[in-house]
Order: sequence, then structure tokens, then C-alpha cells
Amino acid sequence: MLSRVADTIYWMARYMERTNGMLRILRTSYISSQEEIFHFSWRSVLNTYSVLHANEIDDIERDSSKVLEHILLDRNNVSSVINNIIRSRECARAVQDHITKEMWQCLNDYYHVIRNSNMQLQVRVGDPVTVLDDLIEHSFSYNGTVDITMPRGEGFNYLNIGKMLERAFLSADILTIKLQELNYELKMPMEAHLRSLLHSLSGYELYYKIYRGTFTPDNVLQMVLYNTNYPHSILYCLQQVSNYFERLNAESLPESYSRLEFLIGKAMNNVKYSNIRAASVEELQRFIYQTRSELAEVANSFNQFYFGNT
Amino acid sequence: MTENTLLQSYSDQPGVWDEMFSQEGVRDHYKNFVGAIQDLSSDEMTHKDEMAKKLFMSQGITFTVYNSGEGIEKIFPFDIIPRIIMGDEWQKIEAGIKQRLKALNVFLKDIYHHQFIIKDGIVPAKLVYSSPNFLREMTNVNVPFDIYTHIAGVDLIRDYDGEFYVLEDNLRTPSGVSYMLENRSITYRIFPDLLPKNNIKPVKHYPDLLLKNLLALANRQNSDPTVVLLSPGIYNSAYFEHTTLARLMGIELVEGRDLVVDNHHVYMKTTRGLQQVDVIYRRVDDDFIDPLVFRPDSILGVPGIYWAYRKGNVAIVNAMGNGVADDKAVYAHVPDMIRYYLNEEPILKTVPTYQLASPENQKHVFENMDKMVIKRTNESGGYGMLIGNAATEQEMENFRRAIEADPRSFIAQPIISLSSTPCYINGVLQPRRVDLRPFALYGPDGIDIVPGGLTRVALREGSLVVNSSQGGGSKDTWVVA
Repeated sequence: MLSRVADTIYWMARYMERTNGMLRILRTSYISSQEEIFHFSWRSVLNTYSVLHANEIDDIERDSSKVLEHILLDRNNVSSVINNIIRSRECARAVQDHITKEMWQCLNDYYHVIRNSNMQLQVRVGDPVTVLDDLIEHSFSYNGTVDITMPRGEGFNYLNIGKMLERAFLSADILTIKLQELNYELKMPMEAHLRSLLHSLSGYELYYKIYRGTFTPDNVLQMVLYNTNYPHSILYCLQQVSNYFERLNAESLPESYSRLEFLIGKAMNNVKYSNIRAASVEELQRFIYQTRSELAEVANSFNQFYFGNT
Repeated sequence: MTENTLLQSYSDQPGVWDEMFSQEGVRDHYKNFVGAIQDLSSDEMTHKDEMAKKLFMSQGITFTVYNSGEGIEKIFPFDIIPRIIMGDEWQKIEAGIKQRLKALNVFLKDIYHHQFIIKDGIVPAKLVYSSPNFLREMTNVNVPFDIYTHIAGVDLIRDYDGEFYVLEDNLRTPSGVSYMLENRSITYRIFPDLLPKNNIKPVKHYPDLLLKNLLALANRQNSDPTVVLLSPGIYNSAYFEHTTLARLMGIELVEGRDLVVDNHHVYMKTTRGLQQVDVIYRRVDDDFIDPLVFRPDSILGVPGIYWAYRKGNVAIVNAMGNGVADDKAVYAHVPDMIRYYLNEEPILKTVPTYQLASPENQKHVFENMDKMVIKRTNESGGYGMLIGNAATEQEMENFRRAIEADPRSFIAQPIISLSSTPCYINGVLQPRRVDLRPFALYGPDGIDIVPGGLTRVALREGSLVVNSSQGGGSKDTWVVA
């Protein structure tokens, strides 16, 4: 496979996964801003998903409508959802002969939906939750389409590596956002924040089943970092990256393969053989930082050894 | 003209050859087709028209217009009424194009090697050397099998007397062949059974012929040479065509950044490392193909590819430097080339062409500007053109001034009226002007021309400009066997 094609498929998947993750954090944060937490601030979300200066953030951090417009629809915000969808679609266009027609049509529809002026009006003056739900549904439909139509070849592996790597980044980032909102003080009462974290990472129902409604920071961390039945836990994501990567063995240069195999194994085992508790906040911060750096190293090495971008 | 409703509204146009109607009524080769559609109600016709539009949209047969930064995809307008060409007419066209292409190919070989045609005084040296598309870099470069013009799209038009004229030889990177293929695949869906009943020659083997020729150019002793299609990328207006052709031939679609040159060999970057490339069907213009030799600001090309080509390590299709042969001022000399190189009389006519570098010609053209089409020698796509009878005084004055400043860059031709053909527009048949671009493939085994080609239609009433960028559309083109 051409390096550029692999690179483009990988980024198409990353942008779509990022879109999905951002929509969820926007949805739960918006709901929090409306009902649960008094004086809700969007500051940490803005820090992660916008390029505004500190003083611009000060201006809008408590204005949900403006924040949503900025993160969802602002073309000038390089990290906005609309830009992610546009980029993902451009990627799909560039590799049309390597993905299925259904995938292309699905992404094309998604693009037309977010550019629809009714939807944009609804964000500004109507009910943003309806909009976010609609968009999230499109993300599901995209993932289903990929699963049902895409041939299980090299392209599919790059697609899943991109998706899972991005999801690991998202879980780390969204965890950081919530910790920042709590000012890294993991003491009670913080149930609302934990609930919101789990909702943002689609883990609320599973958590309820496992822990029967007891909300402790340790349990939440245990689930978000280590639970391999939970598709958004960092360990699960890394295991998946490793699985899909192994399938590339036959189509790799031996030296590239062993380099990446080492980095992915290292990142996965550093998570697997750690034991992070809420009591030690500094250790938790250090752990997230280290995991993120290792993920970035994996991504950079793909870039260098497989996508030919030196 | 005829008694049925669909054809009743069709009006006769004085001084214009109509493809479907003569003074006596429907022409013979259209009778079968007209018989099949004349009893259809306008609802049925409109339904077919809408169905064609839907098929184009859902199959993503679009071209991209970038004017607001973000690409807008448009469908290339398609008219459902096919344009039909008689078998014996086609034989003449085919023979004429083959003859022309042979002569042009020898001309290119000659002009980049011994230049006999200049020494014998047939083509003036000044004309060749002043062409911006003459590439000194191609001098004494030996190209595989001495073929320069592997893919040509020759534009033909028909004057009021029914005679075909060559309007342009597109020898660089002619486009539109994917529309020829798609138009046919849509036609058999909207008019079931009509193609076999009319005994129409198929066109779908075009990609097979092209691939066969491309494979034959590979220089390496390798049973499975690597052939790629080099595209400028998704922002190019013909990107759809690039993906379609790559898919139909099963070859890799690459961009400039996918290729590297090492030790005068071209490689593509794959996830398994570098893989040598033997043949490149490029859709990138000469100027952009190698920043080390041509435009240094080009990011669409591959640094070093020219030298790999020159050494014969990679075949590039079409050859570089072909622009000198389809230059609009050189065009006037093609009949002489045919006589000189082939010792034959030209089969197809050419439109009388005035080179404005000569003062007498300039005077004549300025006096008769309202009867002339004036074109820039180096523009295409219907740009840089003045049609005398439709231009304002101001536009003519601007052209006069531009011509005086740089006469070599302009030619003038008498206005040819272009034949008309019925188009289904707003529920009725209306006459619109058409041209014809057959696609010729020149390989080591000879020249193949797929029967048909792209018929382009000027969809604006009365317009003579058929280019897609200027409101043109297309039709399926049938050649009766």
C-alpha cells in the first residue's frame, strides 16, 4: 500500500474518532452547564479544543452557546468539530479507491449534515442536545458502515490503529479535563463530576453494573485506565492497537515492524503494570503525562516508519 | 417538421447542420432511435432525464469547482439524447485522426532531433522556437518506441455543409474520457435495449487498451511492471477522472509526494519501503512535473524525474514537450506536415488559420473582426477567446491592443458555425451546438481509437462554447457499426 494512502486512511479514522469523542464531552458538559453544577466553566474544554488566547477564554467560558458554536462550528478554530469532519471527508476523497463507496457516502452525508444551516441555527437558538445527539448518531452510523463494508485488508488495520490510538488520546484528555475541573482535588463531594466523566466516555452504564452505584474516584480510575471489557479504557485501546498492528507484520519492513512493536508493547505494559490510585494526585498526573507521551511516540513512529514522513 | 409531439417544437436553424434532421426530416441513422422515443410522453422523458441526474449524483460523477476555498462538487451536465454518427462517417474520422496523429508524432520526433522540417523550410524555425511549449530539455531525448502522443483527444466540429473539421489536437493531457465511459453506462440504464437494437459499437474497452499500451512501455525485464497514474491531487478539477481511470485499470493513483527519485530511478513510497515505478501515466502538466528542471515552485511534481526519464529508466505518458505540436499557431501547418512526412493528402479538413505575427494577416483580421474567432495560442478550456459576432466594441478593442503587443500569442479563424443536435431541455427538444472529441491511443502496436468519444454541448442557447468550465455539458456518442 502507498504510504500516503495508509497515512490518509489512518488520519481519516483519527478525525472521525476525535469528532465522536468531542461530541460526547460537549454533550455532557452542556448538560452539566444546564443542570447539575452551579457556575459551570468551560475553561478546561476550551483549553483542549480551541486555540483561543487566555483573555478570549475568560470572555466566553461561561457562555455555553458561544462555546458550543466555537467548538462545533467555527471554521477559524482548527480543532473544531466541523473542521474535523471536513478534513476526514477530504481524506476519504483522496483515498476513494481504497475505501468502500458506502463509507464515502456516509462521510459525505455527515459533512452535509453539519453544514446544514438549520442545524447551525438550532445550536445558536434552539436545543443543542438535539443537534449533538443527531451528530453522535451519524458517528455511530459511520462506525457501523466501516465494520460492515470495509474489507479486512491493510487499509482496515490502519483505520483501526488510527481509531484506537485516537481513542486512547481522548480518554487521557477527557480524564485530564475532568481533573482540571476538580482542580486535582479528588475528595468528596465530586459525584457529579465523576458521572459526567463516565458519560463523556460512554462508560456510565457499565460502571453502574460493575460498581452498583458507588462512586469513588478509585473505581472510576480503575475502569477508565484498566478495564479491558470497557472499549474506552486506555489499556483496552492499546491492546487493540497492538492487535491490529500485529496483522501488519507480513506487509512491513522487518526493522519498521520491530521498532513499532517495541513502542506499542512498552506503552501497553506501562499501563498494564501500573497501579494508579486517586490518593496520589501527583503520581496520577505524571502517569497521564507519561502515557500521552508514549502514545505520541507511537504515532510519530508510524509517521516515520510507515507513512514515509520524515 | 414531423407530426409527433416531442419533435414538433424543434425549430430549424438556417445555416447550421443539424445532426438529427435534414430538410427531408429525420436522418436515416437516427430513425431507429427516434422511432423508439417519439411515442414517449413528456412525463416519461422527464422521468428519464431525472433518473440520469440521480445516477450521476449517486455515483459521484462530478467535477470540483474551487471558488470559495472549499470544493463544491458539480455534476457535468448530461443530455439524455445521444449523438449518433454513421459508420462510414466514423471510418473517415478514424482514418483522418490516425493520419494526423502519425504526422504529429513524427513532427515531435523530428523537432526534438534533426529538425528536417525546419531545414526544408516547411515550418518556420521562428514559429517553433517561439512556442512557449517547445521544451529545449527534450532535445535529443529518445522516448520509448519513438511515441510521444500516447493519448490524444482531437476536437472535431462540423460546419454547415456537414464536413468535419479538426479544431484542436490535444496532445498533452486531454481529459474527458471518463465521461465518455460514464455517459455510456448511464445511457443503457435510461434507454434499455436501444444500444444493441441500433447496433452501436461499444466503448468500454478503452481502459484495457490504455493499460496494454502502458504495460508495453516498461523498460525493465519484469513480467509485472509497476504502472501508476500521477494526479495533481483532490483539488484538481479532473480528479474524478483520475480515480476512475486508476480504478478501471487497477493501477495505483499517486501524487507527486508519493514518488522519489534515487540514482535516476523512480520509486513510490509504500508501507513496505520503496517500490520501483516503470511507467507513469501523468496528468500533471510539463511545467509542474520536475521542479529541478521546470517550475521550481511546483509541489505537484517529482524532483529528478526528468533525468530518470531522459536515461530511459521510467516511461512518462504523454511525453514532455508535446505542447509544441498542439500549439494553435503550429496547427495551421499540420496539413503540410502530413504531406511532408507521409506523402499523403490530409483526410480531415482544418479550419483556415491566420497567424497574427504577419502584418498582412493582422490587417485582414482587424478589418473582419466580427467574422472571426480570435484565440490565444496557449490557452484552452474556452478561455482567452473572442468570438467576433458576439463581442462588444470594447472587447474587440482590448483584443486589438493585446494582439499588437504580442502578435505571436494569437491566431484568428473564421467563425465555424458548429453543428447542432437536439437536447432535451425544459421538457422539449431544443437545438444546441456540439463538437466531438474522440480519444486516440498510440501504442507500440499502432493507433486505436475507441468508436465514439465525448460529444460536448454548449447548453446555453446560441452559444458556441462547449467547454465544461463555460457552461458546457456532454452527450453519449454512438457510432453505428
